[in-house]
This record gives sequence, structure tokens and C-alpha cells, in this order.
Amino acid sequence: MSIITPDPVAPDAIERHGIRLGDVLFKGVALVAAVGVAAILGLLAYKVFALAWPAMQEYGFSFIWTEGWNPNANVYGALVFIYGTVVTAFIALLLATPLSIAIALFLTEIAPRRLAAPVATMVELLAAIPSVVLGLWGILVFGPWVAQHLEPWLQSWFGFLPIFSGDPSQAGMLPAALVLTIMIIPITSAICRELFSRVPRDLSDGSLALGSTRWEAIRRVAIPYAAPGISAAVLLGLGRAFGEAIAVTQVIGSGNTINRSLFPPADTLASRIASTYQGASSDLEVNSLLYLGAILLVISLVTNVSAQVIVNRFQKARRMSTG
Amino acid sequence: MKVVLGLSLVVTSVVAIAFTVGTATAAPAEKQDTSLTGAGATFPYPLISKWIPAVGSAYGINVNYSPIGSGGGIAAITARTVDFGASDAPLSKDQLDACKGCVVIPWALSAISIPYNLPGIKCVLRLTPNVLSRIYLGEITNWNDPNIAKNNGTCGLPDLKITPVYRSDNSGSTYAFTDYLSNVSGTWKSKAGTGVNAQWPAGVGARGSSGVAGVVTKTPGALTYVDIAYSLQNKLRVGWVLNKSGKFTSPGLRGIQASASVLPKKITSFDQLKLVDPPKNAGALAYPISTFTYVIAPTSASKSADLRKFIYWAVTRGQTYGKPLLFQPLPLQVQAFAFREIKKIKS
Repeated sequence: MSIITPDPVAPDAIERHGIRLGDVLFKGVALVAAVGVAAILGLLAYKVFALAWPAMQEYGFSFIWTEGWNPNANVYGALVFIYGTVVTAFIALLLATPLSIAIALFLTEIAPRRLAAPVATMVELLAAIPSVVLGLWGILVFGPWVAQHLEPWLQSWFGFLPIFSGDPSQAGMLPAALVLTIMIIPITSAICRELFSRVPRDLSDGSLALGSTRWEAIRRVAIPYAAPGISAAVLLGLGRAFGEAIAVTQVIGSGNTINRSLFPPADTLASRIASTYQGASSDLEVNSLLYLGAILLVISLVTNVSAQVIVNRFQKARRMSTG
Repeated sequence: MKVVLGLSLVVTSVVAIAFTVGTATAAPAEKQDTSLTGAGATFPYPLISKWIPAVGSAYGINVNYSPIGSGGGIAAITARTVDFGASDAPLSKDQLDACKGCVVIPWALSAISIPYNLPGIKCVLRLTPNVLSRIYLGEITNWNDPNIAKNNGTCGLPDLKITPVYRSDNSGSTYAFTDYLSNVSGTWKSKAGTGVNAQWPAGVGARGSSGVAGVVTKTPGALTYVDIAYSLQNKLRVGWVLNKSGKFTSPGLRGIQASASVLPKKITSFDQLKLVDPPKNAGALAYPISTFTYVIAPTSASKSADLRKFIYWAVTRGQTYGKPLLFQPLPLQVQAFAFREIKKIKS
């Protein structure tokens, strides 16, 4: 009732009232936005699990380690797709992390300012390419190039490794991982650039003044300073790599088996859902696809939470060492 | 202030609920008696695009059709976001139940072709059912395999890896093709079976007709299955397939017609509309991978009268537009079956 009761001390009740209304409105809108997002996340998770429930009852946890997806025999298992998701994302991160750090260091420490700005814009524009366009490029240009040049080359030098054995293929685990690399580099490199540009000038200047080379200043000062942020950036990239569906669907080749080699077609959780949800022929198939969705949801949540934990631990360690 | 907070909490929860149920309570589509919207298979799309102006001038019905794939069409008509759906595969039991009062009516007839990419090979590839199924099973992996050479002896097929290409999305073409493979190969039937998708033992998957055709044109040694109208439009080279009479046939109109000649004299359900791998009495011309494609219509809807008119027109006059696109007109008994199903659409 406090809002309607006029304040007897206030000289200008109308004006005060107006200000209060604005405050109240702002508070309300902010609250709706914050609670709304949390509610949507909760309801979404609930719905995914509710729709996946019949498949969970049918297969239990063995769904997770069953290899095979045969809609015509009602045999469903997630192992092939979990494997594909983890391996493509891992390779993408393995390649994207050093590249992103190198790009960021080049832009903040090495490149002249006149060159740095346009290059930074170009790298960020890479993130603006719609994934479906990247996927088309993957089908028409990149995949055939991988099959005709990259994979034979890898095989001729590293063919003794089982991951580079077998026949080259234009659609498979390797092209998918490389397309993912291209997709996460703009995200991680933009964050890394921001982190390196915030390294206090006096710290690196001091390091240089003490006689370290530029590389030593980067390695001993800039990278440790930015480390917690870099790990968060990497995990953000990992989230992107786990969830990307369309571009991966276009280049991974929708395989049904686990192969030691990276060349043959494979599939990820997101891409299998994207390609077969529409027109799934039985209810059990729909439920099983949502089971895949639930697994993906759990994996993504776990990575995000662990990202938070890692960042917090890093920050605590830094505070301990500096303070 | 507590009241304010309480109030805004109420507002929040109302908004949150509105978000979640918003789709269910969306306003019904505006009534416009002269337009019909459809979505579904790409297979009949060339034919439907010929129908649209014709049915527009005949009845003043304005038809819109989005070729989003059979799976998408089934999903759209089940959700009633369109007036009719189209699918190359008949609906499964679960799909029919989910669609709640839908009829499935055959409205076009054509063939699945086998395009391939063999650079420098001049002659037409001849494929036996045995070779085709074993290629897709991953048992025949090279073009110089003696089983292929037996019927293509003079072609000089190269020492090149075979890449069988399949649809990664759910597709009516896949249904017809896997139905054929299950008919000709017991191993295929037990390992992969018939359906709009399968657990493919070998090969590479790609999305949509354009996706599989793209992989084939970019990969020497690849082969796939796609409707003949698509192969025709994109000038793909297609193989000949051996039928039960021991003849290699092309996916042409006479081949489809011969296959359809062995259908039962009276059709009572769409389970009887199977055309793949027809028996020997279909004749020497019969092309063994032919298929019907279907329209899915709700039995009661606000636009039922127009929908009946349109589908009736499509299975009668509409059939005459098919031949240049390699769609064979529906056989009479199938047309009669379509009439009976159209009657179930109540206006």
C-alpha cells in the first residue's frame, strides 16, 4: 500500500509519484527478464526430459553405451553420437585454442595498429557467416579439398597412426572438426584479444625493462595474467562446438559406426537430431532423439558449470599469489 | 514495496506462462476461401508447380506449396500449420495416429533413378539387384569388381572406390529404395530393413536430394538414388536396373507403366500400392524401383471443400501434366481408390 499513500512531507507529490512509477516499472521489467530466462531454461529442460522419458524407461542408462541406431528395428543407442560429439569438439579445440591465442597476441602485441584493426574485424566477421553457408562451402569446396589433398597428405606422413588410416572421404569426422574449428576461432580469439589488451602495460614494460625478450614477456606475464579468461574462452568455444548442428550435419556424412580413423563418416548428437527429427517414423524414435537431446543438454551444462569452477579457481589462485 | 515485488512476480509468472503456452493459443489462420497451403516432399514438386497455375485458372484456388521434404510435410500437416501435406512414403501407424483424422491419397507415380559419377566412362551402367544391394551393404567396394564387370564388360570400369551415398534426413525416396533393397536382398532386410531412414552399413550421408546429388557430382566413383525428375533436371547420368524378366531397364514412363500393370485390380488400402521389384509378368520393360507419392489431407478442416476440389482435380486432369516430367498417370484402380479416399474429406 505504500505506493498509493501520498508522502505528507513531499512538496511535489506528482513528481515524486512519477519517479517512483519509473523505478517500479524498471524493476519489474528487469525482474521479468531475469526470472523469465531462468523459467524458460527450467521449462525447456523439463520438456526435453519429459519427452525423452518413454525412451529412458525403455532403454535405461544402457542407451548411453549402446552402439547402433536402427529406426527400422527399433534399436537406438547414443554411443556413436556421443563419441562423434566429443571427438569433433576435442579436435576443434585442440586446433582453435593455439590459433586463437596466436591471433590475439599478434593483434595486441605484434601487429602495427594500422594492420591490427582491419585484421581483427576480418576475424570477427568470420563469426558472422551463417553456419548453413559454412556447411555449403564444406560440401562443395572444403570437403572435396580435404578428401583430395589434406587426407592423402596426412596419410603419407602419419599413416602409421590409426586415426589417419583408411580411405579419404569428403564427408567425415575430420572435415566436421575443421569446420567447427573455423566456427569457434572468432569467438575464442575475440575474447583472448580482449584479455591480452587488458594486461597492465606496466607489468609487461617492467618485464621488458628487467631484460626479458618480447616472447618471455608474453609467456611469463601476458599469458599467466590472461589464463583464467583463456580457459573460459576455450570452454565457451567448446559449448559452441558441442551444440552446432547444421554445418556439422552437412559435412560429417551421417555415419552409423565408431571408427578409429578420422576419415570415415560419423555423426554428432546435435546433427543426428537435426537430420532425423522431422518425419521420424515412430514415437519411440522421437523419444530416443529427445533422449539424445537430454544427453547433449547434460553435457553442455556440465561443461559450462566446470568452466565457472575453473575460472573461479584460477582467480582465487591469482589473488593468492598477487595479494 | 513488498506489494510491488509481489505484483511484479505475478506479472513475471504470467509472462512466463504466456511464453510457454503462446504457441498453443496462437490466433487461428485467417479465413481466405480461395487459397490452399501445402508442404512436403520434393519428389512431386516439379509436377505440383505445373498444377498451381492450371488449378488457379480452373477453380480460382490459389495453391502454395513448399518442398521441404516428406518428413517436414508430415510434421506440418500433423501440427495443422498447412492445409495439406505431401509424402513419398505412406504414413507409419504412429504417424497416422498422431495426425488424427488424416487420409493418405496417392496422387502421382514416378521412379527412383540411380545416378552415378564415373568420369570418362561412355556406356550406361547396368546394375543387378545383387550388385546394388551389395554396394550399399559395403560388400562390393570397387568399380572393377568382377560382379559389376559381368554385365558391363566392354565399359572398362576403373579401379576406383565405390562411394554409395544416402539421404541423412528422413525421406520418401529412401523408403522406396530401402523397400526395393529389402525385396531383393535378405541380408539387407535383416540388417537395415525398410524405412524413411536406415542404419546404413556403408557409404556417406547427405541432406536432401540436392545434398546427395552434390556429393555424387563432386566425388568420382559415387552413386546414389534420387527421383528421376531430379536427375533429369540436373542432367545426372543414371544407371539401368535389372528386372525380374532379366532385362536392364531405364527409369522411363514405359518402365513405370509396366511396373504398375501388376497392381491388384481393386485397391482397398495403401499397403497394396507397392511397386518395387514387380514380378516377371510385369513385362520386359518394367523398371523395378517405381513409387507412388501421396498427399495427406485432414478429413475435416475449414477449407475441406477447396481441398477436395484440388485433390480431385490433381488425380484426374492433373495427371496429364506429368509425362514431360516422367510422372506416369495413375492407373485406373489407383484413381478409383483415390476417389474413395477423397470422399472421406468432409466439407
